[in-house]
Amino acid sequence: MLEWLPFDPLQAARFSLILLRGAVMTVEITAGALVVAMALGLILAVIKTSRIAVARVLVDVYIEIFRDIPALTLLFILYFGFAYVGFKIQPAPAAIIGLGVIGGAILTEVFRSGFEALHHGQREAALSIGMTPMMAMRHIILPQAVRITLPPVGNYAIGLLKDTAIVSAIAAPEIMFWARNLVTSTFETTLVYLLAAMLYFCMSFPLAQVVNRLEEKRRSWQ
Amino acid sequence: MIEFFQPYIENWANWWPQLLVALRNTIALTASSYFLAVLLGIILALGRLSKIGVVRALCRGYIEFVRGIPALAILFLIYFGLVPLGLVVDSFTAAIVGLGMNQGGYMAEVFRGGIEALHKGQREAALAAGMTPYKTYRYIIMPQAIRIVLPPLLNMLIILLKDTSICSLISTPELMLRAKDLASMSFLPMHLYLLVGVIYFVIACPLSLGTRRVEARLRRGKRQASV
Repeated sequence: MLEWLPFDPLQAARFSLILLRGAVMTVEITAGALVVAMALGLILAVIKTSRIAVARVLVDVYIEIFRDIPALTLLFILYFGFAYVGFKIQPAPAAIIGLGVIGGAILTEVFRSGFEALHHGQREAALSIGMTPMMAMRHIILPQAVRITLPPVGNYAIGLLKDTAIVSAIAAPEIMFWARNLVTSTFETTLVYLLAAMLYFCMSFPLAQVVNRLEEKRRSWQ
Repeated sequence: MIEFFQPYIENWANWWPQLLVALRNTIALTASSYFLAVLLGIILALGRLSKIGVVRALCRGYIEFVRGIPALAILFLIYFGLVPLGLVVDSFTAAIVGLGMNQGGYMAEVFRGGIEALHKGQREAALAAGMTPYKTYRYIIMPQAIRIVLPPLLNMLIILLKDTSICSLISTPELMLRAKDLASMSFLPMHLYLLVGVIYFVIACPLSLGTRRVEARLRRGKRQASV
């Protein structure tokens, strides 16, 4: 019935199911790394706005180092390097740490520019009309900071989702890992990698639309 | 602590020449795919602003698709995926084409942003004020377009340099692959991957600091202009 197709639809369905199992791991690693990156980014951004010059310089050094080293190199150091030194890290945690640490450097800049975009007069005004510092934070600063930083954080998350593909190189069982496994057992390279690409697209494209909408909203709000 | 550096001293004469050759390949790969990406980006950006609906839709489709999938997926599709169709590409070519196609999608958005940010009234106003088309371009259009486009273009060079490392997964003979080979031969993974990390850092750091400089400089120009 479906002979006109250039591939076997049943086989394609079977492959898709296997890749979907990897997609769960992809989402888990993305979420884990995002949490690590956001926590690191927030802490470092606060330090960067502090008055201690040494701390500020240290944060700058951190950002510069992890901006300039490829993620794959860091993953190999964490996974193969540390195993050699006698400190074995499992693939998924290594992936979350590696991508999270790099993401921390990116998000520090995002959060810092978010803080800076808010004029400090706003806080002062809130305090002078009798708000407690907590109230000023909750009702004045945070809503604006979230609105400013949400689109870039969203963009980062989409990039992160795609970056998890390289985690297959340290054998974390995500989409690309299963794709490579399928290829070695079936030799259907074109079909398997196309399906894998589609799967990534189906996850990242809707996210990108949401972020676009947020960006537009933000622009009109400004 | 001192013992840790011992293998570097012992193996330096063996490692360094091999890594240097690989580094040259990494730089050649970065430069070629960057060139391809810029070219593709300009074409796609112009295509997206075209008056012909089909061209616009095709360019938009390409940009959205490429930006929606990992670079590694494109590399695998080109290097492994084209083989059953009778198209065998060597790993270096596949790496250049794959990275170029991937980054081209991002470049297109950068260039489109640059073109769109300029209101067409500016050009008309400059011409109406008696400027020649060349002067309009030189004093009105270019200074503004560069300000928008240059920082992301420089950032993408750094991203591309780092992205070449994943080409080792399709066995392109670049820095990361050489490090992997040397690591499995010498059983010193920590030493080699750290060394390679330092090499990437030494190349990317001046680029990144330069980019920040340019960014700060352009921002300063903008603030003065808007006052």
